[in-house]
Amino acid sequence: MLSININLIIAFTLALIGVLIYRSHLISTLLCLEGIILSLFILITLLITHFHIFSISITPLILLVFSACEAGVGLALLVKISTTHGNDYVQNLNLLQC
Amino acid sequence: MKVINYLLNTFLLLTIIMITFPLIYNIFMPNKTINFPPLCKTTIKLAFFTSLIPLMLFIYSGQESTITNWQWLPISTFNLSMSFKLDYFSITFIPIALYVTWSILEFSIWYMHTDPNIHRFFKYLIIFLFTMIILVSANNLFQLFIGWEGVGIMSFMLIGWWFGRTDANTAALQAVLYNRIGDIGFMLAMAWMMLNCNSWDIQHIFMTNINTPALLGLILAATGKSAQFGLHPWLPSAMEGPTPVSALLHSSTMVVAGIFLLIRFNPTMQGNQTALTTMLCLGGITTLFTAICAVTQNDIKKIVAFSTSSQLGLMMVALGLNQPYLAFLHICTHAFFKAMLFLCSGSIIHNLNDEQDIRKMGGLLTLLPITSSAIMLGSLALMGTPFLAGFYSKDAIIEAMNTSHVNTWALCITLIATMLTAFYSMRVIHFVLLNEPRFLPIPVMSENNPNLINPIMRLALGSILTGFLLTTSIPPTTTIPMTMPTMLKISAMLVTIMGILISIELFTLTNKMPIMPMIHTHNFSNMLGYFTHIFHRLKPLAGLQTGQHIATMLIDLGWYEKTGPKGQANLHSSLSSTFTSTQKGLIKYYFLSFMISMALTLMVL
Repeated sequence: MLSININLIIAFTLALIGVLIYRSHLISTLLCLEGIILSLFILITLLITHFHIFSISITPLILLVFSACEAGVGLALLVKISTTHGNDYVQNLNLLQC
Repeated sequence: MKVINYLLNTFLLLTIIMITFPLIYNIFMPNKTINFPPLCKTTIKLAFFTSLIPLMLFIYSGQESTITNWQWLPISTFNLSMSFKLDYFSITFIPIALYVTWSILEFSIWYMHTDPNIHRFFKYLIIFLFTMIILVSANNLFQLFIGWEGVGIMSFMLIGWWFGRTDANTAALQAVLYNRIGDIGFMLAMAWMMLNCNSWDIQHIFMTNINTPALLGLILAATGKSAQFGLHPWLPSAMEGPTPVSALLHSSTMVVAGIFLLIRFNPTMQGNQTALTTMLCLGGITTLFTAICAVTQNDIKKIVAFSTSSQLGLMMVALGLNQPYLAFLHICTHAFFKAMLFLCSGSIIHNLNDEQDIRKMGGLLTLLPITSSAIMLGSLALMGTPFLAGFYSKDAIIEAMNTSHVNTWALCITLIATMLTAFYSMRVIHFVLLNEPRFLPIPVMSENNPNLINPIMRLALGSILTGFLLTTSIPPTTTIPMTMPTMLKISAMLVTIMGILISIELFTLTNKMPIMPMIHTHNFSNMLGYFTHIFHRLKPLAGLQTGQHIATMLIDLGWYEKTGPKGQANLHSSLSSTFTSTQKGLIKYYFLSFMISMALTLMVL
């Protein structure tokens, strides 16, 4: 395995851990989500150019488009939360807690 | 061309025509009803003597014949004609039926004396006899079916003779309905014969191989008509009719029609083990169940009716052992003593001013000597006392059963039923004849009328002599093994004696033991095994309630509220409220566990 792939896989894993473990701010989850998408994008592009599989070249572009949509949705949720609560602390999200 | 060759056919057809004479007389002169009953009786007496001639000819020369008169429906390959089969069975049965009918007609002149419609009663009895003779002498299934339906309808009209009484109407309806269920089996068999044997003639059917469904159809027909277990409740209910009706129809003649059908078709059933086993087990269950029910009944006619049912089960057992001649012998001997028992109960009922409950009779041994002697004679014949009429047939059947390779269970229950026969006969004798009278001293008892005495005497004579006469003059065609261990040979008699001893012992105890409130075996026996309660009330109720629910509630309640829209809404809301409480919203822990399990999986791989 090439060393750049290992770098990118480590970046992906760190961003994933960042999504799953967060302390107080919701925006850190969203940031790490962007990190996952970015590392995935670069991984797929390197795969295409390394193995010369140009027929799936459109795939990273589609990934980018969908990530943009999802980032938009995440930010809209964030805006709504900070409108109601005034901050983005995750301990405010306890409406369904019994 | 000797004259003697024609005598058989001539005299038997003359007998049948003689029976129709009172009916024609009634059609053309319906208003001359005064002397009609004695006319009927005399005609039947003459017909009996006329039918003795073919019987003598048959005993002398073994001549049988088949008379085919005219064609009804010649459809291209299927010919239907009117034909009479005069073989051993019909030639022997017709004189016996006429003898019993003669005695019963004479008895009913005394019994129905005060009835204004007595001429109509006699007309119905003659029509019944005519259709019964048609049934017995039929050579094809269509003619047999005419006789079959005829006896069914006359049974309906005669059971409901006193139609002002609700119980009589329901009993008549019950008889017709149960017979109808049997008729379905008969029609199934007829349809099968038409399709596969292309004929309804008995000679043609005997040459082909009959499959099991048609035979089971015939057995179902016999179950309906001869009141085997499953279709038996109509026979005790049929005691709502007048006693001569019970004596003629429901003891000697009509109820043996089903057994007679199976006897006619016995060559087809000899090889079919399924049919034989069915008949054996059905007969065994019938004889035991009805004997159990007879033990605790309190109406004298119902006890005799259950006794009839038990003997019919015994005839069915004989058929199941592949011994049709023994079953036929039992039919002939049973007719005599059972009709006599019914006539004696009629005499008792009339003399006690219409009292039918045996708990209210007693001491009739000295008050009605001829009737009580006849009851004792009839009961002894029924129990199979050696050398009376019942012995030759009943003992032969039990011997045949003991020495054949059949179901031991059927054998055991038949022996138990034999013991119970002795038991309930002794019960009747004890309650009716012995001890002191338990009725008020109002009724005036007399046996002086010759119309009462002569029939009973005649049938008593028949009860004593018939077994001997029949077995010595006509040798059986299928012989049973005559040698067997001593214990088997006397098993029937031993069982009967044991029943008598147990019953005597119990009767000396009954007026000393305290009354026990709720004995389950007594209730089972007294309420006929709860058969009528379940099948006449519960099952129709279940069916009708299901129908009502389907008609009114199925769409609204079933499809809208339980399964359809409202049901879905209720389901989802209830489920979601159940599952909501399990979601605690601990997002951080959920993510943490996801990560740890991912890490573990990656480490293992």
